[in-house]
Amino acid sequence: MRALRTAATGMMAQQLNVEVISNNIANMNTVGFKRQRAEFQDLMYQSLERQGAQSSEAGTVVPTGVQVGHGVKAGSVYRITEQGSATRTDNRFDLAISGRGFLQITLPSGETAYTRAGNLALNDQGQLVTDDGYAVNPQITIPQDAVEVTISKSGQVQVSQQGQPAPTVVGTIELATFVNEAGLEALGDNLFLESGASGPATTGQPGSPGFGELLQGYTEASNVDAVSEITALIAAQRAYEMNSKVINTADEMLNVSTQLKQ
Amino acid sequence: MDNTAYVALSRQITLRRQLDIIANNVANADTAGFKVEQLLTEEEAVRPARSHGIRRPVDFVVDGEVARDFSQGGFTRTGNTFDVAVEGDGFLVVRTPAGDRYTRDGRLQLDGRNRLVTAAGQPVLAGGGELVFNPEAPTPVIAPDGTVSQGNVQLGRLDVVRFDSRRSLAKGGDNLFSAGVPARPAPDVRLRQGMLEQSNVKPVLEITSLIEVSRAYERATRIVDQTQDLSRRAVERLGRTQ
Repeated sequence: MRALRTAATGMMAQQLNVEVISNNIANMNTVGFKRQRAEFQDLMYQSLERQGAQSSEAGTVVPTGVQVGHGVKAGSVYRITEQGSATRTDNRFDLAISGRGFLQITLPSGETAYTRAGNLALNDQGQLVTDDGYAVNPQITIPQDAVEVTISKSGQVQVSQQGQPAPTVVGTIELATFVNEAGLEALGDNLFLESGASGPATTGQPGSPGFGELLQGYTEASNVDAVSEITALIAAQRAYEMNSKVINTADEMLNVSTQLKQ
Repeated sequence: MDNTAYVALSRQITLRRQLDIIANNVANADTAGFKVEQLLTEEEAVRPARSHGIRRPVDFVVDGEVARDFSQGGFTRTGNTFDVAVEGDGFLVVRTPAGDRYTRDGRLQLDGRNRLVTAAGQPVLAGGGELVFNPEAPTPVIAPDGTVSQGNVQLGRLDVVRFDSRRSLAKGGDNLFSAGVPARPAPDVRLRQGMLEQSNVKPVLEITSLIEVSRAYERATRIVDQTQDLSRRAVERLGRTQ
């Protein structure tokens, strides 16, 4: 009975849906997290009576045939790159990106990863690093005697040092953008890698056309909306139940057939 | 005598197929742009297997066609730049290796070559060609008439088509339809950016038809049962009289 398997694909799809939703809810307070959405597509159809087939010698054709679908499959899990709200932290190394762009991070392997989680800090050598201690690219080193650090909207890092009235520029933070941000490969730890689907990275100064601006002292909150996630969870649960009802019915019908008297 | 069982059997076959179609509807309740389907049955009059000179019509049930309900599904707001909902009788045109296909699933995205593609990576057509975006220009805006622009630059107009006979559309999976008749432009259809059209599956209707199918199947089975019972009793009784 095809209905059994069709309903099973529906249940598996809803299971994936719940997994994606639960990941969104779990990351509600993750800085720079982008919520995801599972996308579904219908599976192939089996034509039992081909449309367009001749139904008589006079050349009449079947206008619509009988096409029976085989259920549903997960098309993709799509990342929604909507801007999250900026949260004030007053930490001078916290950066929120307002608009498009990712910070570039050098992984220990030498590869470049991309992130929107701007909760940065200094390491023991005065380098600007992420939570995990990976350096921001291009590297920025803050002198030890720096009194104040200012990061401008366009990414210029200025420090005021003791005894020097004018601030000095120690470097510029660059952003990277992608044509298809949704195609980036998630690495975990809020990091992303370039992939074939995302296209190559275009780097540039924050605030220039096509790039977002930096906000010092803010972090970007996740763009997960609790209410819509919970409603999606309820809908997914009900859809799962409905598919199980179909399986029940198919089972009952099979049962009726097997109980036929001999 | 056997005809009764055969007619009941033909009903059971269509009911099973009906269940398959309901299962597919329910499984695709969350598929954007999915259109609900229904099996239409028709009678097929045939000559009885054995007629003793008496003309008794015997009508079998056959699955005639799958009817698709093309009514508008509900809209959900996603806020995604490349999500497009089609409002009205129209389809987006997708170029596939097998030819042009049509869809109402507006979950579009950009691929690595800046082209506007479907979730499966197949290009969506605008003016008969592919739509290529400029990665450095501002966020694209899709106007209700399908015009796509980035800033002051117009990139093209998304093709939206309709069909004189939607019955000639066949589903090919991946939310795509193929058409047996030529497509016509549909200028009065509106596109809504940042929205998605949900499937038009109505859960209550599907569950009620599920109950209906299951009960009808039981009834058909009972007919088979009773027919067999009848013949068994006939044999018993005849055996007694002799």
